Amino acid sequence: MTLGTREPQLPELNQPRWAIWLADHPLAVLGGVLVVLVLVTGVIQPSYLSASGLRNTVLLAAPLGIMAGAQTILMLTGGIDLSVGMIATAAAYVAAHQSPNGSLVAIALGLMVGLLAGAVNGVGVGVFRVNPIIMTLAMSAILVGLFTALSFTVLQGSTTVSDFISTLGGGSFLGNRIPYNALVWAGVSILIIYGLRRTGYGRLLYAIGDNPVAARLSGVRSWQVLIAAYAVAGLLAALAGILLAGRTGAVDLQLAVSFLLPSVAAAVIGGTSIFGGIGSYSGTILGALILGVLATMLTFLNAGQAIQQIVYGLIVLALAWLYARVTGSS
Amino acid sequence: MTAAPVEVGRTGLDWTSLLRRYGWTTGVWLLLIALIAFYASTIPNFGSFQIASIAKNSLPLVYLAIAQAIIVIAGGIDLAVGSMLILTNAVAAQLMDGQSLGVSLVVAVLVILMAAAINGGVGWIIYVSRVPDIVVTLATLFIIAGLALIVLPSPGGGTSDGFRAIFTGSTSGTGSNFWPALVMMFVPMLAAARWMKHSRTGLSLYATGSDSTAAYLSGVGTLKAKVVSYAVGGAFAALGGLASLAITGSGESRFATASNFTLRSVAAIVLGGVALTGGVGSVVGAAAAGIVLFVLSPVLSAMGVDPNTAQVIQGALIVLVMMVAGVVELRRERAE
Repeated sequence: MTLGTREPQLPELNQPRWAIWLADHPLAVLGGVLVVLVLVTGVIQPSYLSASGLRNTVLLAAPLGIMAGAQTILMLTGGIDLSVGMIATAAAYVAAHQSPNGSLVAIALGLMVGLLAGAVNGVGVGVFRVNPIIMTLAMSAILVGLFTALSFTVLQGSTTVSDFISTLGGGSFLGNRIPYNALVWAGVSILIIYGLRRTGYGRLLYAIGDNPVAARLSGVRSWQVLIAAYAVAGLLAALAGILLAGRTGAVDLQLAVSFLLPSVAAAVIGGTSIFGGIGSYSGTILGALILGVLATMLTFLNAGQAIQQIVYGLIVLALAWLYARVTGSS
Repeated sequence: MTAAPVEVGRTGLDWTSLLRRYGWTTGVWLLLIALIAFYASTIPNFGSFQIASIAKNSLPLVYLAIAQAIIVIAGGIDLAVGSMLILTNAVAAQLMDGQSLGVSLVVAVLVILMAAAINGGVGWIIYVSRVPDIVVTLATLFIIAGLALIVLPSPGGGTSDGFRAIFTGSTSGTGSNFWPALVMMFVPMLAAARWMKHSRTGLSLYATGSDSTAAYLSGVGTLKAKVVSYAVGGAFAALGGLASLAITGSGESRFATASNFTLRSVAAIVLGGVALTGGVGSVVGAAAAGIVLFVLSPVLSAMGVDPNTAQVIQGALIVLVMMVAGVVELRRERAE
């Protein structure tokens, strides 16, 4: 480690077998971390190790997990979406405003906002080659301005969501054990995992992220793939925003903004490379769950906001370091 | 991605390559001048008060843009510059409250050194852990903001009048004397630019950012480059924290301020012609873009645009500029 040639470290022959096994199965490490965190939280607050305690964590993690799904898809292409927080907020705003017209209309229009904003991001990145960080940052700023202005005019009115959305985002079934939003998350997860692993489109996302030039030369129309990817990401962010609005019951312009950085963190903890081409959504799911448990633990510790931020940052750093160590690459 | 063909034995001025090298930076400065000229024509009484206001209020973002530019040119990215701004702001506000100018200056130097030490440590962690810069600094964004909140739990603290005058030109923070703010803007900027382009260490940052393996193999200390770029970036972020303390006269440690400043610093460097892939760009361009981003809001409000619409226009303008740049780049690639 003293001299830094940045080559991936190959597992050495004299390494113990478990180390090699762990390097091949990084998700097992994440699972282990998750279990340890749950147990530690249980030690801090014994009542946590119950159906309702764990339910609360899943309730917290589901919107984050869906938003991190958007982040995972884009990070695989070598991009990133810094507008997920604002897209989610905007979608929730529209859904709340349309709630008097029926839940279906509200959800559909909310998702529409995400799809549209995402597609615009995709055009910027895919066609005009604007750097994804700048494109989505600017989109975020545009949405903040637009929705602040709209909330005084066109979107004035309802800021609470319909009962159906409330139940979807905050309710549970099976005797208050399984939250509905976990069901939505599970559905989304299956779609994303299947889409990334089994469909040609999913493989194109990996191809573009791994080597954009090679992908282009082998006939991939990158711009189309990217527009679709950003649109899907916008859609997922919007879905997360609507679920979030259902959980809190009412919307405001700060609703999902604080989810932006954790959504990146969840994907990164889950082993998705920020440079593209490497990663999976199953890792991100574990990442989102870990962050959910962490948030619950910090609430139980009753630490001030400052300590919470520090511990949060330290754990993200430690997990990323651990992941790099275990897999022997960055 | 456009490697110019090497031509041997060529002398004299090569306008194409000059334009390629300095075109973007010059363009951003011309844009800034045009914006200010336009601003001057829209408001009835443009004078030294407005110049002073623009110069001093854009200082924090200019410093952060320089900080981010140095780090990105060296091949990194620091999402925690905004946190460093509020941490240094909080520490300085606590220590300078009710003190004399002399004590304030000592505190200022110590705060800058502290920021450089912390951020140098972050650079070291990035190098040793092999975790990507953006991930490590995402974590330190939270950690450093948390530290700031511990130092200054609620807005408060203060500084000496003399210290406010150093950055703002007046002991009350508002006035028509624009020279101190301009000096505080241009001296550190030109010093950083000279250091980056003409010193051994500065050039090693460009080399490392351009291709760290090639730089390492040709004997450049890549660990040193990483640590130095983050340390100097931290020092500039500290200048930003001190400047915002001088402007407002009291400290503040809101997380929203930190993440906002970070995002704007990234926008500023990209607009200023620094490539996020490293090795390309200059601090001078980034600084100009920082001022442009700041000046846009008074310009739009002078035009009678309400703040929310102004934000939409600002975002759209950034995208538009980057789109034009993207298309120009694409055409150049096709032509070659």
